[in-house]
Amino acid sequence: MQLFPSTIPTASPAGGASGIATATRHQLSNGIVVLIQRNPSNPTVRVRGEVRVGAINEPATQAGLAVFTGAALIRGTPNRTFQQISAETEERGCSVSSGGGQHSSGFSGKALVEDLPLVLEVLADIVINPTFPPDEIARLRGQFLMSLRENEQDTRSQASRAARALLYPEGHPYSRLSSGTIETVQTITRDDLVAFHQQYHPAATTIAVVGDVEPAAVIAELERTFGVWESAATPPVQELPPVPPLSGMQRRDVDVPGKVQSDVIWSVHGLARSDPDYYPAMMGNMILGRLGMGGRLGENVRENQGMAYYVYSGLEADLGAGPWAAVAGINPENVERAIQAILQEIEQFKHEGPTDEELADAKAYLTGSLVLGLETNDGIAGTLLAIERYGLGLDYIDRYPDIINGLSHEDIVTVARKYLSTENCVVVVAGPL
Amino acid sequence: MTTNEVQTHTLPNGMLVLTKEVHTAPVATCWIWYRVGARNEPGGLTGISHWVEHMLFKGTPTVPRGALDRIIARNGGTFNGFTWIDFTAYFETLPADRIELGLQIESDRMINSLFGPEEVESERTVIISELEGYANYPETWLDEAVKAAAFTAHPYHHPVIGYKHDLLAMTRENLYSHYQTYYMPNNAVLVLVGDFQTEAMLALVERYFADLPAGPALPQFYAVEPEPQGERRVKIQRPGPAEYVQIAYLAPDCRSADFAPMAVLDAVLSGAKALTSMGGSQTNRSARIYKALVETELASGAGSSYMPSRDPYLFELAATVRDGHSANEVELALLEEIARIQRDGISAEELAKVSKQLRAQVAFGRESVTNQALSLGMWEVLDTYKRVDTLMDEIAAVRADDVQRVAQTYLTEKRRVVGHFLPTDMA
Repeated sequence: MQLFPSTIPTASPAGGASGIATATRHQLSNGIVVLIQRNPSNPTVRVRGEVRVGAINEPATQAGLAVFTGAALIRGTPNRTFQQISAETEERGCSVSSGGGQHSSGFSGKALVEDLPLVLEVLADIVINPTFPPDEIARLRGQFLMSLRENEQDTRSQASRAARALLYPEGHPYSRLSSGTIETVQTITRDDLVAFHQQYHPAATTIAVVGDVEPAAVIAELERTFGVWESAATPPVQELPPVPPLSGMQRRDVDVPGKVQSDVIWSVHGLARSDPDYYPAMMGNMILGRLGMGGRLGENVRENQGMAYYVYSGLEADLGAGPWAAVAGINPENVERAIQAILQEIEQFKHEGPTDEELADAKAYLTGSLVLGLETNDGIAGTLLAIERYGLGLDYIDRYPDIINGLSHEDIVTVARKYLSTENCVVVVAGPL
Repeated sequence: MTTNEVQTHTLPNGMLVLTKEVHTAPVATCWIWYRVGARNEPGGLTGISHWVEHMLFKGTPTVPRGALDRIIARNGGTFNGFTWIDFTAYFETLPADRIELGLQIESDRMINSLFGPEEVESERTVIISELEGYANYPETWLDEAVKAAAFTAHPYHHPVIGYKHDLLAMTRENLYSHYQTYYMPNNAVLVLVGDFQTEAMLALVERYFADLPAGPALPQFYAVEPEPQGERRVKIQRPGPAEYVQIAYLAPDCRSADFAPMAVLDAVLSGAKALTSMGGSQTNRSARIYKALVETELASGAGSSYMPSRDPYLFELAATVRDGHSANEVELALLEEIARIQRDGISAEELAKVSKQLRAQVAFGRESVTNQALSLGMWEVLDTYKRVDTLMDEIAAVRADDVQRVAQTYLTEKRRVVGHFLPTDMA
């Protein structure tokens, strides 16, 4: 019997304008790039901003500094204490937050549209004028240390920490987690936070505003709030040291006592987002470990062998070549069998590449699901930030189907053979030994 | 949400259909809800509803295993299923011109799921792996112990995932019989929200669901948790990185007139949440628990929760104890926050704040058709979809002294379970 005969169209793109069809890009007088999309469907608004300075800008001895600084922004300004920021925004049902990450530091706000001026005012205040009050810094440090202690006994986080340390040379920012360690977070001082914040720069900042807003009014409001931000420093530079290729299989087993499940990671070096191999690698990854119930890895490890509830692969492509990894939660007794199954799937994928059906499915999914990602204000704002971050242009969504549909079996198999390896790779197990 | 935009239709086989047109994005979502969850599981068969949910992804005669996820992906869609104490739900969110696919899938697997013996066996270990993943977290052990102590006669006693030995022993026949008992049009609610025309959509609904046979009468449910006669305390001692505290009070179900004041009480303690079992929440750094527990550095994180449920469930408090402090201290601090409200009530400003927060949460939830359908379907299986609207009126009608009264009535020593997680030596 034919599967689902009747009336489902199979190729035509979904109708209607894309969620960023009328997005506009502006530059404030101080260099901040602003992206605005009007979305009148709900009386809500989302603001998402990022400054391109993050954990890759911090020295190894101060691992965790970018994350600490990002979280500390909201802890007080000359105009408002942390408690006042919380009271003032929460009183109106707004949520504002800030945080640091590996490549950038972010801030965001979510509000009913009538409260957008308040959100922008508070966000500008915490990004431009944080005072890092010592008692608040002490509280925040305590929270970070507790969470790092919890991570010490978290199999997933331990596996990820160990894999990074094997994949990248000591001193390379990708060799560590951006959360830092108990040792480094203990030694970071308030002066370190102040100095790190001085690297924040308007010329390295992008802000996306999406919701039921009038773009001209938003720009005026952004000029009033963020436009006054001046920095004497030069914009931060982001560079990564070279990474020597992996040689041989490097295996590490990390003992996390008292656990009933182990986390397994296989990984190699992936590629930068700007690499011409990015799109075939992204699609190859989709077929290997994402599509449907976790791609080929899911089909083997979960569906056929019933060894895992979660198994998937991920490709971190940003400024540099992040990990291309497969991850699975496995009963300690089945760890070796699961590793073999993962390695075998990778070898087979390298050998044969995607089937015609897999290729067609991946193309149809990536192009068809675009509209789903552009439904909410948050989804639209995230897409706009990525477009600016990677210099893709506001016509990216229109160009995307052609990029995807232009990929061939040969493109994917070439990239799979170039990057994936079961000989020169990292394998980590974290769990009860 | 204005539920006057929602249209209801009941098919002759008893299946209720809710539709709502939303034309803001070219997207539509198809949800089906079954009135079955951990609540409907007898002893020895704990976790069976969740396992059945997994089996609905494992093939029918026309859609073999693996074809379902492929066909949804091929059409640019996302899908999932989940099981909770009171219900099991499945959804497909798709580009609007593909939404018929959701109807086809749900109609097919409501009746035709195979439960192939090999698939049952392979899923058994997948689910045990899911359980073991949860068991890696100390909070899971504490949560299960607290709930087990809170319910002595009602099946809310056991976790949705089930007990490992039940999962090891359950048979294909057990699973199939559970499926045949509860997966019937007369026990289901279909919810469609998105960019479609209602009339054309209803014609498709008729085509896919009208011919499905109604099932026999559902098993009678009569469990009632008796009024607790004193505080119960549990202590978990296992390897772990910190001490944790969890306190649970037996609390009114969602149909109680006291539901809205309890939801306001929860928001006063730790910020407003979307009033569904999933969904967003408000930052809560100006709320009472954060100020009393986190700002004072007794806890690194702390909060409260109260979810709509079919039968009386729980109002809960939880915290992660900071280094240098003890579970006892944190317990006392949490209890003091309850006592303060019982003694002094809440202020008019707090009431106004959480009322606006709850309004904002509803507005955020409306941004996606998936969330709108979630909200309508969940309320329909628990009470009526109209609660999505009326709840905002109920909340607007809550007075400060209602909040104080419900705190005095329900959050009593007799009605509570106090749980501590105390780490043991790793050796």
